[in-house]
Amino acid sequence: MAIIREFIRRLGYLVRRRKKEDELLREMETHRALMENPRAFGNTLRLREEARDAWGWNWLDGLVQDTRFAWRTLRHSPGFVVTAIATLALGIGVNIGMFTVVNGLLLRPLYERPDEVISIYGRGTAPDGGIRGVSYPNYLDLKEGTTSVFSNLAASSTGFVGLGAGEGARRTLTSGVTANYFEVFGQSPALGRPFTTEEEKPGADNRVAIVSHSFWTQRGADPGLIGRTLRINGAPFTVVGVAARNFAGASIPGPDVWVPLGAETAFTTTTSPVGTLNSRDAQTLSVVGRLRSDVSIESAAAAVETVGRRLAQAFPTYNAGYTLRVAPPSRFLFMPGPGSGAFTAILTALLMAMPAIVLLVACLNLADLLLARGHVRRQELAIRASLGGGRWRLTRQLLTEGLLLALAAGVVGLLLSRWATGALLTSLRPVIPVALSLPELDFDWRVLVGAVGFSLLASAVFSIWPAWLLTGRAAATDLKRQAGEEGRRLGSVRVGNALVIGQVSLSVLLLAVGGLFLASAISAAAADPGFLLDRGLVVELDSGLAGYDETRGRDANLALVDRMRAVPGVEAVTISSSLPFTSFGDSRNVAPAGVADAQAKAVDAVFNVVGRDYARALGLPMLDGRDFTATELAPGAEPVAIVDDLLARRLWPGDSALGRFIQFVDGEGPEAGRTMRVVGIAPTVRHSLSNPQPFPHVYVPLGQRYESAMTLQLRIAGNQSDAAMLTTVSRVIREFDERLPIVRLETWRDHLDTGLDSWVYRAGATVFSAFGGIALLLAVIGVYGVKSYVVSRRTREFGIRIATGAHPRALLWQVMKEGGRITAIGLGIGLLLAVAAGRLLQGFLYGVDALAPVVLVLTPLILLASSLLASCMPALRATRVDPTVALRSE
Amino acid sequence: MPRDAGLPPGTLMMLVLRVLVRQPLHGYAIAQRIRQLSADELSVEEGSLYPALQKLLVKGWVKATWRESDSGRQVREYRLTASGKQQLEAEIAEYRRMTGAIDVLLKEA
Repeated sequence: MAIIREFIRRLGYLVRRRKKEDELLREMETHRALMENPRAFGNTLRLREEARDAWGWNWLDGLVQDTRFAWRTLRHSPGFVVTAIATLALGIGVNIGMFTVVNGLLLRPLYERPDEVISIYGRGTAPDGGIRGVSYPNYLDLKEGTTSVFSNLAASSTGFVGLGAGEGARRTLTSGVTANYFEVFGQSPALGRPFTTEEEKPGADNRVAIVSHSFWTQRGADPGLIGRTLRINGAPFTVVGVAARNFAGASIPGPDVWVPLGAETAFTTTTSPVGTLNSRDAQTLSVVGRLRSDVSIESAAAAVETVGRRLAQAFPTYNAGYTLRVAPPSRFLFMPGPGSGAFTAILTALLMAMPAIVLLVACLNLADLLLARGHVRRQELAIRASLGGGRWRLTRQLLTEGLLLALAAGVVGLLLSRWATGALLTSLRPVIPVALSLPELDFDWRVLVGAVGFSLLASAVFSIWPAWLLTGRAAATDLKRQAGEEGRRLGSVRVGNALVIGQVSLSVLLLAVGGLFLASAISAAAADPGFLLDRGLVVELDSGLAGYDETRGRDANLALVDRMRAVPGVEAVTISSSLPFTSFGDSRNVAPAGVADAQAKAVDAVFNVVGRDYARALGLPMLDGRDFTATELAPGAEPVAIVDDLLARRLWPGDSALGRFIQFVDGEGPEAGRTMRVVGIAPTVRHSLSNPQPFPHVYVPLGQRYESAMTLQLRIAGNQSDAAMLTTVSRVIREFDERLPIVRLETWRDHLDTGLDSWVYRAGATVFSAFGGIALLLAVIGVYGVKSYVVSRRTREFGIRIATGAHPRALLWQVMKEGGRITAIGLGIGLLLAVAAGRLLQGFLYGVDALAPVVLVLTPLILLASSLLASCMPALRATRVDPTVALRSE
Repeated sequence: MPRDAGLPPGTLMMLVLRVLVRQPLHGYAIAQRIRQLSADELSVEEGSLYPALQKLLVKGWVKATWRESDSGRQVREYRLTASGKQQLEAEIAEYRRMTGAIDVLLKEA
């Protein structure tokens, strides 16, 4: 309290300083008059200054003085100011923009005290054992058995659903959760109530929902939303709550809607709803727990593993072959399993490195500009030094100018960053096939303080150096000597050259890495997917969004295939639940039926529910066996499956799979635990671009499982144009049912190009090239600035040489040669950096070597050309020097 | 303040506060009083008196008011505040503790 009161008093002295100083003066005058020997009273001016020191504002006086002076000086050179601010604002802007995204997606905690929250999952004991979730009964046992280490344990299962009905329907994420779910994350609803324990229980079927805060604000933040009805896959749910504003789900992207686990069956399409949640083998839930405050993660792991062993003994049918493990939860996966902190750290470093390099180049450029400008001001600095301005005082003055520029650049940069953030997010959206809740990417104070503070610091550092350099030389000598000081000035030219070399090498680094990503994007586009890409169309539909139930949905799927087959120009058509090269896939553990150690023998395979002609539509022949028959597409038929060559060889090495039986070891849905006869062997196709290894596939006919979200795949005749066929297909669907939303309609090639894998390469190429381009621009400005400065300082020399008969071309050549030399050094360093960076990034690249000659030759050429162009103009100016003017000028 | 080599460091503010206990005084009178009371042993220079007074004002230990003196001059008088009194007591206690310790050391070492 005393400190606050003292500060307020100090403020009083600041506000009424005129009066206070006057009082001090009068008081001292009186004192002097009273003294016997008034002369003994010292210098009142200095005494007052010392007395004022007690008020604690002298530093501010200096600052105000410096700022005023800086403002006056800067006002006289608008060109310099604009260049400096633009350069720095660009650097600061891209940093804040990128940091906003990185902070929102990678760094900001998603919930309260995240260190205490850990996830629990099952892992197979076999060497390459898969990861799976936890069943509800196992979760209950786990919760009971670990009360000593967890203060709370919750479970959830997240998946895609259709929200709404008719035209407004869209696909989004929904989580079925236990009643204590929000409590574990330290959240209570912003409006309404959390779920009750009754609602969580299997079979409760109390259809209530909590919506996300962003879902609520997108609908006008109307408190009346509570109590309204929401359709999830057509089933009506009553909204009972709105989640807290700062909780957008436990992972990114988060769900728009949460429902109690007991009501989830209302919109999932399983045949025995109550059985699924209640059965011990439905190992699908993600479990998270909050550690008690004094419990370490190791003791929690021990407790969890103990329960896991007990469960394996008590229920070997479902739990043998698996142990329970703990791990920090994943930030980006809503599936059960461990997170990867290392991945987040690497991604953060990688994403922040680019703008940081741009800022570094901007700072080098600023140092360059300040240095060149300082030379122009040598005379002024010399006068001030000779009048008693100390080195520190002069440095502080120059520093203030730097800070003033940085502050202005910070404001401009902040505005730029809003745009940069928007651009980054816009480039992200098209890849994600659904409307997702991303955490709100507003500037929180961390972004502001972090980015602006960091930028100010950086620019301060880079203006201290030139300032110190400039005020350092015995400034007084500058007053006496003015012209013809080439030798002494060379030192600072060398510094200028070093700065340019730095800029050039960093630009090479960014451009070369951009080139590597570009090459990746090109080779990804040219990659062989294992099937025929041309003349293929994909149409993604979700009849659930139009309110179709299972019976109508099944009919619609078959009817649509028939209608498409009848369209002239369509050679083959099929329907499937998943598509190669899509961001989200579904997989199952498949094992030979009837073996004792099924868990251990299981192979993870992509699971696809398909109609007839799947292989034909991809332009592939069946390797063995037959396609599905029409009867097998209807429910109740004999369970059959087609496996691909790869799965067949893994399950029955060296033996034919045809006619044998497979079983689905765990997982959800009606096929769980069911055995199926293998009737055909399909060729292997790749499922993702980033993973060149083919992945096993298992195909089951439509009859075995119903899903409302399906994709039609069409192979069209060679004489048809893609565009015309896309229009026809869309018309046929509209004629079938106007309300049926078309989620996706594009050619196979476009689908591949807009997939997540391709996007990574293209985003890498775009972002690195953009950052590289900005750095290149800054480097060119740097080269130009230094060359211009050198030429202007040597006007006299050039004048003399022209007067004595030097050929203008010789001068041009000399200036260009010097420019070329520093560029070449910068290129050399930059290429070494680029090769090192390429090695580091190898894992992110596709089909490109870090030493790709195209990149390593093309990038330096671009830079060399730009740099020569930048030194060309000053060089030309050198040749046009008029000897008479030049000699008279100094 | 190096010019007041005669005063032990840190004691000036305590002395100023002490002479203000009996009555409010202006700057010149404070210096005079300190000299008189110490029989000319201690002298306070203007160069350190005024920074010290400003410091006391900022700390809120004294308050200043303008008044016409008996000789008809406008003088600025300093008056001890309640927190100034507390501060003085604290400083005297601290000073006694310190000199006591030094005394003991000088006698016994």
